[in-house]
Amino acid sequence: MIRYRSLVNSLRDIKIASSDASRLNSPVSRLAAGIAGVLALGASTVNAEELKVWSGYPELAPFYERVAEGLSDKYPDLDIVVEAIPLREHEKRVALGLSSGSAGAVVVELPKSTASRYLENDLLTPAPEDVVAAVKDSGNYGEFFVDAASFGDTLYGVPLFRGQGALFYNTAMFQEAGLDGPPETMAEYTDYADKLTQRDADGNPSVSGWSLRLSGGGQGIAEKFWINMFQYGSNLMEESSDGLWRATIDNDAGRAAFAQYLDNVHVKKNVTVEMPADAEAFERGQTAMFIRESWVIGDIAAKAPDLEYATAPLPVGSIALPANLFVSAEGDVAQAAWDYALASNEAEHLVWMLDNVGWLPNRGDVDYSSVLDVTPALGAFVDYPEGYEFFTLPAIGPIEEILTRVAATLTDAFANADLAGNDSGIDETLAGLEADVNKILDREGLLAE
Amino acid sequence: MTLAKHESTAKRGSSIVDATSPVHRMPTRGRLRTRLTNLAIDALLAIFSLAMIMPLVLLVANAFKTPAEMLAWPPTVVPDAPTLANFRAVLGDTPLLRWIANSLLFAVLSTIAIVATSSIAGYILGKFRYRTLSVVFAIILATAIVPFEVYMIPLYFQVQKLGLLNSTAGLLVGYLVMSFGIFLIRQNVIHSIPDELLEAARIDGAGELWIFFRIVLPLLRGALGALAVLAFFQAWTAFAWPLIVATSKDAYTIEVGLALFQTGYTVDLGRLSAASALVLIPSVALFVVLRKNFVEGIAATGLKE
Amino acid sequence: MIKRRRFLFAIAALLPVLAIYAWVRVMPIAEILRLSLHRWDIISKNKPFIGLDNFRELLGDDLFVTALTNTAIIAFGVLAITIPLSLAIAGLIHHRTRSRFAGVWETAIFIPHVVSLVPAAMAWKWIFDAKLGPLNALLANVGIAPRAWLFDPVWSIVCIIVLCSWQALGYAVLIYLVGFKNLPKSLYEAAELDGASGLQRFRFLSVPMLKPITLYVSVVTLVSGFNVYAQAFVLASDSQGAPGRQVRVLVLDMLENAFRNYRVGYAASEAVVLLCIVLILTLIQFSLLRERRRS
Repeated sequence: MIRYRSLVNSLRDIKIASSDASRLNSPVSRLAAGIAGVLALGASTVNAEELKVWSGYPELAPFYERVAEGLSDKYPDLDIVVEAIPLREHEKRVALGLSSGSAGAVVVELPKSTASRYLENDLLTPAPEDVVAAVKDSGNYGEFFVDAASFGDTLYGVPLFRGQGALFYNTAMFQEAGLDGPPETMAEYTDYADKLTQRDADGNPSVSGWSLRLSGGGQGIAEKFWINMFQYGSNLMEESSDGLWRATIDNDAGRAAFAQYLDNVHVKKNVTVEMPADAEAFERGQTAMFIRESWVIGDIAAKAPDLEYATAPLPVGSIALPANLFVSAEGDVAQAAWDYALASNEAEHLVWMLDNVGWLPNRGDVDYSSVLDVTPALGAFVDYPEGYEFFTLPAIGPIEEILTRVAATLTDAFANADLAGNDSGIDETLAGLEADVNKILDREGLLAE
Repeated sequence: MTLAKHESTAKRGSSIVDATSPVHRMPTRGRLRTRLTNLAIDALLAIFSLAMIMPLVLLVANAFKTPAEMLAWPPTVVPDAPTLANFRAVLGDTPLLRWIANSLLFAVLSTIAIVATSSIAGYILGKFRYRTLSVVFAIILATAIVPFEVYMIPLYFQVQKLGLLNSTAGLLVGYLVMSFGIFLIRQNVIHSIPDELLEAARIDGAGELWIFFRIVLPLLRGALGALAVLAFFQAWTAFAWPLIVATSKDAYTIEVGLALFQTGYTVDLGRLSAASALVLIPSVALFVVLRKNFVEGIAATGLKE
Repeated sequence: MIKRRRFLFAIAALLPVLAIYAWVRVMPIAEILRLSLHRWDIISKNKPFIGLDNFRELLGDDLFVTALTNTAIIAFGVLAITIPLSLAIAGLIHHRTRSRFAGVWETAIFIPHVVSLVPAAMAWKWIFDAKLGPLNALLANVGIAPRAWLFDPVWSIVCIIVLCSWQALGYAVLIYLVGFKNLPKSLYEAAELDGASGLQRFRFLSVPMLKPITLYVSVVTLVSGFNVYAQAFVLASDSQGAPGRQVRVLVLDMLENAFRNYRVGYAASEAVVLLCIVLILTLIQFSLLRERRRS
């Protein structure tokens, strides 16, 4: 838990810095000077080479292209190609490209959980000194983020942005239901869902009070379930001693979270599997509230700009999934690659990203107030209360497989009306989940005693 | 049984199979009954055929609907206010034409490769009876029943090693040969090219290559045509292989592109239908044009017995 | 000497084709068999030999068993619908073969088989849609409540079976039509003179004599049923944008293990299981056919 507390401290640093950019002593200008120096060093000795930027988020493509453009003066002969494809495809091409060495010079955006297998197999380049200085020594990135970009004590990547969850709720619907603020405990979530659900003549929900992730998308279900479990006080898995893990699903938190899903779906019928869900449903006014990451803000601005909504932090804490820029390159172009990674963290670009895409930059010493003034919805992500806790996905090889399996089991379980109110059935399901996860951990030699 | 016979019976408006029913030999009352039965059968077939193509008709209709009408309930068959907006959007925002081009190039090249390899291998294995070649043919037989999905993963890594992912060449690797094609040509060669013809040519001093190009190939024209159409559609409708090989948006084939269309965060039914309709039209058009060849090709697979 | 030249020509002409065949067909098949006995996660350089461990794990793997069950249900379901229906339809078309519409029926029934898989599946996905689909609209007219077909564990599989049968029908009908053509007409004329009705002639003459074709179409349909993927991918996919209930099929499970879980050896063992199933089905067909010929 110590890790989480220091995370909270470091995340607090991300909050709006009181802006007085004229202070030359400020970490900002120190970092700026550092970056400028690094950039000046790597004068354009790179000729007609290609540097690829691989990302798993197509909505970030414009951001990466801006950064590339910013470097064009410095590297006129360097062709920076941005390839941002959906996450699943991205993970696959990274696996194949890096393992076969056929990727060429590439800047790869990855969270640590996915990157760990490459780091273990020496397929990514350790950060050179100037980058280490800019990231570690400057103190502008919280320990949590530096750790997420390192392997052991060696820094391998540059932190860039993170995914973090919060509640999105439709203020117009809340007002109509007589609710004057967001729910603050999990019990209130169900309560509010009851009041917010709109039903048709047959009593079936036409607008869901609370859109839960009941189906779809690989491991998403498991992640969302984990978020709910976290509010009840437990993680899906715990790390016991260094590097070894154990599943912690069959406990009170698991039961409470699972029962809440079943309750809302089968007993209260506030939401059903076939109802439209997620951001799209929220934008079309087909759901009153749901929990998701900050990119939804940009999506709403693009697709439903007139939607009346607000955001709020979750009762206990949230998932935080930091993504970093790693490098796999050699020779002159490696320098360009690292310059690109650092350039992506320039204040101007980060503010642009927050404003236009909605993912949260990890760098702490930048003034984001201009964005927050225009988009107060981001407040729930950066202005969270004292004691807010965070968890992240374990950086172990089989994590995707584990989450995919858990998701598959949960999909069936959520659709099973017989489990609602059936304590022994619930216990059985959770125990089964725990056994499945432990089996995979055991198979990979990662199971703690 | 040669395919030439089928060609002659494929008149417009009648089926490729023909039969005789002794209608003219029946008394008048029986004739009326036959007429009614026939009418009933015709009606049944008409309804069934309509039902078969209805889903495609609905899809094309959807392509012309406005977003509002897409959400209408109950759904309409003929759009009230047909619009081209979906088509414009889909052509503008997605590289649909690029995908169609990818698929076309892949299918054409695969067809050429398969026709070439099948004709050579079929001819040699059919007319040059040596023991070693029998072994070769046995191996081809044995591996013919293995479905592509079974061995596509190692093939994928081969392609990746060569750096051919996301390229037409990479796609082609999986579709260069067709075991059935070799069978088909071999059958045809055995049944429709008499040994005497070849011997006569050889005695006249013709070289082997000349024999192949000037005698064998022209005689195989029907079978090659059928094979070409089969190969083309096999490549055109391939799914699993292009899905894993062509992973960058520009390199998608049309099947993959459309399927992944719907895995974005949101899905727009109207656009999806428009894209699907745009792809359906060449498929159907090609089929109608090449129907004769197609049917022969498919029928030939049944003749394998 | 001429004989030798001919032999050399044969070998020389065949060699390139054989080389290609070996490269794209024989080697990958051998490789998949080999990989199934190893463990490989794509990234690391070593692939340790683990014997039959993969297969042992498969037996106890819930997801694999689900995939296998679903796939088998779909394959046999398609078979159960396609064979009787196509036989009947082919019989009807053959009976009316001299009408000018015969070609029209054939074309209409065959078109689903040749159009691109994905657009066709999209069409059906809309038809089955709970809120917007015409199926529910049609049923509402008859008084049946609308249902979320694609979300139901049982009905989603039925939907896939319907889609696959729709596509497979054209091929089966065509093959049967060829079969009908080759039936001896004299037998039919004799039967008619004996007073057998059309239906009787169909049941007692056509069906038994078409048995070889039935066997052939059965195996082809079954084998392609076991390889179902695109239809499940589109119709029953669980993407965020178009949620549905994902129907796990063999090929999907195999690809997921290879490319999402980074377990290529394990995926290879699934491929080998698929291969064994196909082999068994084909062998059954051959042996049944041989028996028939002998009798």
